[in-house]
Amino acid sequence: MTTDVTTTSESVSTKKATRDIYLPPERKKVTGGGNPHIVAKNFSIYYGDFEAVKKVSADIFSKYVTAIIGPSGCGKSTFLRAINRMNDLIPSCHTSGSLLFDGEDIYGKYTDEVLLRKKVGMVFQKPNPFPKSIFDNIAYGPRLHGMSDKKKLLEIVERSLRKAAIWDEVCDRLDKNALGLSGGQQQRLCVARTLAVEPEVLLLDEPTSALDPKATAKIEDLIQELRGSYTIMIVTHNMQQASRVSDSTMFFYEGVLVEHASTAQLFTNPKDPMTEDYITGRFS
Amino acid sequence: MNIGTRKILDRSFTAVGIGSIITMALALMVVVVPISWNGVGAVFFTGTVEHRKMLYAEFNRGDSQDLSSEVASSERYRSKVYELLSTFEAELETMAPDKKMEYTSKYSQVKIALQALLGPPPGDTAPMLTRFKYGQTRWEKAEERLHELLYESKWDNSNPEIMGKEYFVSRAVAFEGTSLAALFPYVKYNIEKMLLPEFTFYWGFITDSSVDSHFFGGIWPEIKGTFFLALGAMLFAFPLGVIAAVYFTEYAKPGFLNSTLRSANSTLAGVPSIVFGMFGLAFFINTLKVSESKSVIAGSLTLAIMILPTIIRAAEEAILSVPKTYREASLSLGSTKWNTIPTVILPAALPGILTGGVISLGRAAGETAPIIFTAAVSVGSAIGLADVFSSPTPALSWNIYNLASEHEAAAQIRHVQYGMVLALLTIVLLLNLSAIVLRARISKKLKG
Amino acid sequence: MAEEMGKESNRSNAFVVSARKRAFQKATKTAGEGVLFAIASFVAVMVLFIFYFVARDAIPFFQIRGFTEFFTSSNWYPADEPGEFGALAIIYGSLMVTLGSAVIAVPMGVAAAICLSDILPFSVRQYAKPVIEMLAAIPSVAFGFFALVVLAPLMQNSGGPMLMWAWWILVSPFLLLASIVGSDLLTASIKDEKRRQQLYVLFLILFGLIAVVLLFKVGSVLNSIQIITGTNALNVAIILSFMALPTIVSVSEDALQAVGRDIREGSYALGATRAETIIKTILPAASSGILAAVILGIMRALGETMVVWMASGNSSHIPEPWFNYLEAIRTLTATIAGDMGEADQVTGSARFHVLFAMGLLLLIISFISNLVSERIVVRQRKILSGQ
Repeated sequence: MTTDVTTTSESVSTKKATRDIYLPPERKKVTGGGNPHIVAKNFSIYYGDFEAVKKVSADIFSKYVTAIIGPSGCGKSTFLRAINRMNDLIPSCHTSGSLLFDGEDIYGKYTDEVLLRKKVGMVFQKPNPFPKSIFDNIAYGPRLHGMSDKKKLLEIVERSLRKAAIWDEVCDRLDKNALGLSGGQQQRLCVARTLAVEPEVLLLDEPTSALDPKATAKIEDLIQELRGSYTIMIVTHNMQQASRVSDSTMFFYEGVLVEHASTAQLFTNPKDPMTEDYITGRFS
Repeated sequence: MNIGTRKILDRSFTAVGIGSIITMALALMVVVVPISWNGVGAVFFTGTVEHRKMLYAEFNRGDSQDLSSEVASSERYRSKVYELLSTFEAELETMAPDKKMEYTSKYSQVKIALQALLGPPPGDTAPMLTRFKYGQTRWEKAEERLHELLYESKWDNSNPEIMGKEYFVSRAVAFEGTSLAALFPYVKYNIEKMLLPEFTFYWGFITDSSVDSHFFGGIWPEIKGTFFLALGAMLFAFPLGVIAAVYFTEYAKPGFLNSTLRSANSTLAGVPSIVFGMFGLAFFINTLKVSESKSVIAGSLTLAIMILPTIIRAAEEAILSVPKTYREASLSLGSTKWNTIPTVILPAALPGILTGGVISLGRAAGETAPIIFTAAVSVGSAIGLADVFSSPTPALSWNIYNLASEHEAAAQIRHVQYGMVLALLTIVLLLNLSAIVLRARISKKLKG
Repeated sequence: MAEEMGKESNRSNAFVVSARKRAFQKATKTAGEGVLFAIASFVAVMVLFIFYFVARDAIPFFQIRGFTEFFTSSNWYPADEPGEFGALAIIYGSLMVTLGSAVIAVPMGVAAAICLSDILPFSVRQYAKPVIEMLAAIPSVAFGFFALVVLAPLMQNSGGPMLMWAWWILVSPFLLLASIVGSDLLTASIKDEKRRQQLYVLFLILFGLIAVVLLFKVGSVLNSIQIITGTNALNVAIILSFMALPTIVSVSEDALQAVGRDIREGSYALGATRAETIIKTILPAASSGILAAVILGIMRALGETMVVWMASGNSSHIPEPWFNYLEAIRTLTATIAGDMGEADQVTGSARFHVLFAMGLLLLIISFISNLVSERIVVRQRKILSGQ
């Protein structure tokens, strides 16, 4: 099932070129991806009686970056958090329809949410390292899953930090408190911490909203680095960011998935007038 | 009202508020300063040769050669006193009967005062109670006794409208013309040579046992008992309180049951401390029979129930102040809630929990009423760890009450009482101070 | 079915587990929560136990002696045969010192709380808070010792002059303020500015003279008072007020802090002074929280044992006249503490049970006032959050 897919700017049609949109750069090739990894079928999420996400059906392809955009309160974060069942923390929250991961229902009767979350990692809006040393932060996950060999842990820590492109900055102070890092470094540390448990899916919930432009650029570069190794979903309110980093984009409005298409198509040739209004800034 | 009056009212309103805060600070000072000042006097004071004699005899402390030379030099001056006494006794025999009667009673007063000052006269049989074996060990007390020797105190009750007034009559005048008259100026001018006062640092006040119900010696049994009681209470209450706080913050679902449990917590916090004492007596001793009668374990359990609500509240607050994002991060890494609590939440909340624990420890150490019926005795030796299940213990808080209110010679051992209060205050306030410092450091750390 | 499940969970990336494992997980989770719940409900169990065990030993007393004597007679001769167990004077003594300490502590505590939350800058507040915490931390027996050894002799020897000075220091500023406000109010209706000022000064001098006369007359009366015993209700009330203050201050400060900034700003924007803002808008909004604070503080005074035991004189009679704070009294807590030692050798006697009856009375009072203050706080929170 090796399909080499490249999402490039070739498909960008020129007829809406007047729009001020940053077009995605040439991307590296992705090998071994492109099959539906997460599949939603008529999937709804409720807070009590309120239907926050309404009958969403979508396929999310493995090893590609999928962006979720939409005005605030449209249900995009709720949808993202449903994928690793973080919504379980909210007592009144329940779902209907099905949300499949690798063909298994995430909300199935026999789902072990702990095993699920190990496969589906998440990085949050605000960097949230534990008030522990950098090493302990990264080693937290592996230790949890039964690793105690110091040498192996060090290996994992180094590998994760390297993957998250922060190793060079912290390699000489692994025993220092993680709260001493800058905001951007903290966020990359959180990515590294998630990578340390070797997930298949990486959920990013507005990962740059608390960061300055420089740190944001570094995170975006990191996402490009990780693309092709993980299935990545990123919620963002920044359309430029979505167009820069993602291969396909979902547009949510009031809980409804209005449009889901390749990023190039959605930003240059949206099918739905609502999408067009949103990406051209008529409402936000 | 015109604007000027309104402004005056505004200022005076501020003044009342600031005044109350200053009054509170003053109240703290007024209580703490005299206690500290006098309490330090239990350890640092001007001690006499009698004190050194007592230390050598009771605690085998001090240099025997120095002591014997000191004793010898003081005996030289004292011998003159006893010479004068025997001369007067001989003179008394020769007196007319009525005069003899009059002088005999006065003379016995002199002898008592002298014995209080210098200790039993040579050749006398050794008294039973240790307190009578020595003269005044502290110089300021010796000065008071000297005054009693030199002057007889009398009460002027001539005016029935007001309370009686005390006045003093010189004994030297009363014995004018007898051979004893020479005694008073002699003692007055040679008292320092007889008692050899010198500055003393009596560290043993902390580490010694008491001798003859706190007339001499230190307060070690009380300090040890207080530590046993307070630490024992913590041992029960701290784990229970933290676990209960974890339940309330992480697991409890809002509802009738939960609000009842919370009400129970605040009810327990409001129960008068003496009722805890009664409950400890009725439940732990009379019903559960954790021990035959009063014991450290019964006191600790009673104190534990008393401090439980405080610990729960502090721990709850500390856990609630842990950012929600820590929880999310841990869960998203594939941790269970059960795992997240000891690995992420409790470590982050630990300083706050410890602060509450330390304050509760101070409260357990300082509380008296719950241990009156369950653990405290007034006299006793320091107990060991093995005795906590069976024997009661002296404790600082209880013995402060006991020595100040029920001791047969409360006024004579004020310095011991002050020393005890200071020791208790120091323990409690140091614990609280460390809690305040701890909290300040945490808030600094959390700010980054 | 089970076989299929087994196969599924063998897959390397499976997050779906077998039904049995899931059930086991659920069971352990429920069991774990159950254990936690059991530990958390320990407190509630203890509260029930306290009520049960105190009531168990209290009820026999009422069975033997009935209610009338306990609540209406003030003859307290428990050691006699047969004993008399009239606790009226003792209950009255408890109420007296509690009320006395409330009179001192409530205005001071509320004023200090307002000062801490609204007036003092943060830099000063940082130092004021530890003072209050220290005051709260001092063990009651240390306060009792101070009352007995320092304050009582001082009162006995120079009580009159102390009362006089306290009167002067406390009352003279208020009288001065009252004269200013009084003259202002009396002249407020006069239109002509010049005449108004003349009259204002006139009134001020008049009121000032009255105030000075009042100060000196009452002062000299107080100065001539001779306090028979230093261990009296006043001594205890003063010390208890210091012990109740920290509770009142910290709980009312919380209540004041809960009042939002917008309310304050609204009042300032209308041209109110700080005092007017606080009295007219913030205090009413925080009043129920402050009431709860007062109840908690008073309970602290009512339940206190060591201070009253050591410094109240322990004399079971109603003072003559009834408001005479300079006489020795006796309270419920001190009676329990003092008599248990003699009584518990004869467990089962009325003398033993009467002490538990007193404990039950204290327990019920504290329980009710706790419930009330809790309700009040909940209500205030609801009102402030607009529900």
